[in-house]
This record gives sequence, C-alpha cells and structure tokens, in this order.
Amino acid sequence: MKVRGTVEFRDVEMGVWVLVGEDGRTYQISGGRSSLLKEGQRVEIDGDVDDAAVSVSMVGPVLRVRSYKVI
Amino acid sequence: MRSAWCLPSVLLLAVACAPQPSRTKVTPPGTAGSAAVPHAVVVDFRDGTSAEAVAERAHRWGLSLHLNSVEGARSGIAIAEGVDDVDAALARIRGDAEVEEAEPLVRMEALGFTPNDPEYPKQWNLRMIHMPEAWERSHGKGVVVAVIDTGIAYEDREEYVQVPDLAGARFVAGYDFVHDTDHPNDDNGHGTHVAGTIAQRTNNGVGVAGVAFEARLMPLKVLDRSGIGTSADIADAIRWAVDHGAKVLNLSLGGPGYSGVMERAVAYAREKGAVVVCAAGNAATGQVSYPAAYAGAVAVGAVGPDGQLAPYSSWGEALDLVAPGGNTKLGPGNGILQATIDRTDFRKPVLAEYQGTSMATPHVAGVAALVFAAGARTPDEVERALFQGAVSEGAWTPRAGHGRLDALGALNALGKGGAPVDWAPLVWSAALLALLLLSLQTKTRPGYLNVLLNPATLLPLLLSTVGLWFLKLLWQRFVGHSPEAAELLFLPLPDWERILFGRGRLASPLMYSALVPAIAGLLAVRWRSLRPVVAGLSLGFAGFLLYAAWAKAPGIAYLPFTFLARPWLVLNGAAAALLCRSMLRREATR
Repeated sequence: MKVRGTVEFRDVEMGVWVLVGEDGRTYQISGGRSSLLKEGQRVEIDGDVDDAAVSVSMVGPVLRVRSYKVI
Repeated sequence: MRSAWCLPSVLLLAVACAPQPSRTKVTPPGTAGSAAVPHAVVVDFRDGTSAEAVAERAHRWGLSLHLNSVEGARSGIAIAEGVDDVDAALARIRGDAEVEEAEPLVRMEALGFTPNDPEYPKQWNLRMIHMPEAWERSHGKGVVVAVIDTGIAYEDREEYVQVPDLAGARFVAGYDFVHDTDHPNDDNGHGTHVAGTIAQRTNNGVGVAGVAFEARLMPLKVLDRSGIGTSADIADAIRWAVDHGAKVLNLSLGGPGYSGVMERAVAYAREKGAVVVCAAGNAATGQVSYPAAYAGAVAVGAVGPDGQLAPYSSWGEALDLVAPGGNTKLGPGNGILQATIDRTDFRKPVLAEYQGTSMATPHVAGVAALVFAAGARTPDEVERALFQGAVSEGAWTPRAGHGRLDALGALNALGKGGAPVDWAPLVWSAALLALLLLSLQTKTRPGYLNVLLNPATLLPLLLSTVGLWFLKLLWQRFVGHSPEAAELLFLPLPDWERILFGRGRLASPLMYSALVPAIAGLLAVRWRSLRPVVAGLSLGFAGFLLYAAWAKAPGIAYLPFTFLARPWLVLNGAAAALLCRSMLRREATR
C-alpha cells in the first residue's frame, strides 16, 4: 500500500522515526535509507503494514518500507 | 407528613457525604541526621514559576536543574547536581528575580534504606514510588521476573558484554526466540534498561539502583536489533517463562493488532500464577496497545516527575496503573536513568536516560516482585495490593487507572484482605427508596421502615448492593483465608459477572443492567408473594447502577463507544427504580 505523510522523529523509548500519514494514522517506519529519515520531510511510502508486529516503540502500526519518494 | 420529607433530605445528605473509594496516604518519613551533598544545590523558585521558566534558567546557568518532586511544579523547589563550583553557581542563581532562596543541598537521612549507588540521587522515579521506605520491608528476594524484550546484557560472550551494574545480579536461564539460542544477549539496549529498573545491582557503589534488586532476572529475547518482533514469538516466550518458574512477566512492548494467540498465552500465565505487566503504549491516544489491553494483563501508563500523565502515554478503558516513565520535555534529568548498552554500539555499556511506557512498566513489575516476596500467593492478591496501594484521587479513571504506583502502599495493602466494603451503593438505594415512596400517593405508600425491615426485601437489597460481606467476616473468623471462588460470592450481585464471564476490566452489560430485576419481576407477575423480594432486588440494582454511573466506573463491555457507559448505567438504573416503585405500590394496595 501507499501512504503519504510527513516523516517525524519521536523521542520515546530508543527514539523512533514515524510517518504521520494523511490518512490520520501514525506509522512506525521500519527500513528505508537515511535519506528517508529527515524531520519534516513529506514523502509517499510504498510498503506493507505489518499487523502482527510488536515493538518497543508502541507509537502505531509498523510500516515496512519497500520504496518511497519525496513529494 | 413533615417527617416524610425530612428523611429523604437526610439521606441525600448522606449520599453527598458518602466516602469515596479508598485513598492512600503516605506519611512522610521521619528524619535523623544530615550532611551536605557535594556538588549539589537546591533552588526555591517563586511559587507558580513554570517548568519552562525553570528549564530556560537551567540552560542559562549551565546547570542540570530539575524539579525535585511531584510537588516541584507547585512548590517551585528544584535541585541541580554535578555543580563544579557551588559558591559561584549560588551567586549567579541568587541574582535572579524568580528565585526566592538558593543554598547547598543537604541530605537529611530519612528513615528508610538509601542505597550508596553514586547516581541514585538522580533516580527521582524511585523516590516517587517510595522505594526507600519499601526497601525496609522487601527486596523481592528470589522472585523470578521474566524480561520479555530485546534481551539483557548479562554476560561477556563473543561480541556481547555484561553491563557492569548488572555484575552480581541474579539471573536464571532464559532463551533467545529471535536467533533460537540459549544466550538472550541484548543487541538493542532497551531490554537491559528495563531489566535495570527491575533489579539493577543496588547498594554496590556503582551506577544506579533497581526496584527489586534481590529478584532473579530471566532474560527472554523476542525483539530484534531494531526492537521489533512477532506476536508468535512473544506468546511463546510468555508460556516459556511461566513453565520455567517466572512469577512476574515484564512486557515493555506492544502493537495495535489483536492476537488471539497472545491473549491465550496471557491467560495461561495468569492460570499458572504469574502477574503479567505490560506497557500501555506511546501513541498518546485513548487506546491501550496489545498485550496490555488483554484482560489478564496489568496495563501501565507513564507519568513524568510532575505526576501528570506523560504527553506520549496511551490511556483508556484498559488502563490499570500509572508509574514513572519520565517526561524529557521538562528538561534533562526528567527521564528514567538506568545502566544499559549504547543504542548505536551494543558493546559499550552506558548510563542512559529514556522515557516511555516501557520505562514505567518495570517499576510495576519490580513492585509486584516485592509483593510476592512479602508473602502474596496469587496474581489476584498481588494486583489487589498494587491497585489498592496506588496513590489516587478516588475512583478508577481512564487516564490514571487505579492510580499512581506506590511500593510502600502496595506492601501496606497486602494482607488487608479483600477490598473494604463499599457502602455507597446501599446508601444510594436507601435515598432512592425515600424518593420513590414520596412519588407514591399517601394511600398506596408503605412506610419507609416497613419496607426496609422486611427481611424478604432487605436481604436481596443487601445482596445486590454490598454483597454477602458478613458471611466473609464469619468465614475469615472461623475458617481462615477465603479461596478466590468464595471471594467472588461475597461480592455484590452485579459483580457476580466475574464468576460468569471471567475477570476483566470491563463490566458485562448483562449484569450491569436492569436485566436480573426484570426477570425477577416477570416471575413476580406469576407468584405475587415474590413482590417484596423483587422490590429489594430492583432497589439494590438501581442504587448500585446509579452509584456506578456517578463514580464513572467501570467501563461497560461490548458498547461501541466508551461514552455510552454512563447513559447505559443511568437508563438501567432508572428502569430498575421504576420496577421497584411498581412493586412497592402494588404491595401497598393489596
């Protein structure tokens, strides 16, 4: 699936990068290169939401990044 | 006629004054002896100085200044440690208009155990839950606490290292479910930090302290280096832990997805006598994450040093407790400090300050171990002590659960037996009866005391409002400790749903409704002699449900929206009251 939104860093637990999606949900970004992980960057991520994933961050569903583009 | 009006007003007054559910009061410890703390100052700001203003000055003065306690936000008392030149710093601070007083910090030796770990003074979180006093009573000796996480830096092996402040801590064999090995070492840092809060080597002159430092840690690695894992591995680890003797399970992890496999594993752990403590989540929403939201788990939210719910903490219907998880928005020194490994290089031991509901959870797990070591035998007993001992403003709320964790309160609550009898529903019923009688015409109105003193009415009234508490007293006097099943029978009738539907945080809408009185009412159509019984029963349910609505507790299961719980209780309470009224009236006309 594709999600558009803004990349943000959250200072909880070990620190976590999230995508605040235009769909109103917040996703924990898993994978993706460092060029994706920039505070405030608007992107469209093509990836899979892993519903069975459990994490230390607990900020929202884990989004496994396949590819992305800056918008 | 006048007395008929007097009675209800007296009763209404009684309702207004009815005691709230118990609050915990902790007496400040006595003091004896004092000594100046090197390189530390205490600053008393003008009352009402904001946390931001304090943080701004800390930055300007180049000090790591933090509010001293929960009261700090109000009292304006902040402390700074690691000050190189105390006199110069005091001169700078005293020139500030917002400062009322500044002086070197003096340590008063409190009654209680003060560990000699050099960084212990920075662990505001341990003082917030009254650890010094609780350590006088229990160290969690021998209780096995499973840390189901990213592993623990517990051994020097291959590329992995042991964190120095865990040297000498007690470990039992664990397992690495990610790599399928017997060596669950930490390659992330999260699990080691969490394990440190539970059982950091304490009073060893190194690093920091932990809550239950004589407990035994069981490292179970279910999360990979990036801190992510699967519900299958976690469910496996939960079963593995209890099968290998763990009494407390710490799960500082979560996800939004429901998993039946994990829920059954949590239920299995409870059946085997273990307490399952889970993080509520960091999504800052009203939805607690899984596994914390499962019925068998204790869901823990996070508060900062000011005692307020941390801005990241999740909350909601499933929340059980809040505990210190830190709030770094208030400035440095306001996170949770433990020994762990560096998050970018897992071969490097560090002291790290993190914030999150993951950090709050091990405080509760540690105190659960203290309570087990102090003699609790079942998870129900431990949870009751945790909840009753918590510091709260009154009833359960979705943002604080049963209140803020308090180690001393929990140990004090242990052994006090079950919950004290809550008389409020009975008082509400009595007041309601007066109102119902007033709404009847004089001809059809029975006397107030005639109704109450009829055993056929009084017994079902007591049963449905305060339960068979008197049987419990007799049981405890002549038989001894009552078994869990019997404990349930002593509860008010609406709470018997816990027998029928198992324990959970949410009440069943079948029992928390006018259904039972309505069925009894139908029987009374056929057998008129049942009318006094139905009157008592429906009066009791009406008082119970209306009181529950007033006290905003508990949530009701299966309703699509949480806000519907109160209208549900009010409507059903009113229906039960009307049923009672019709029973009373017809009785009178007969």
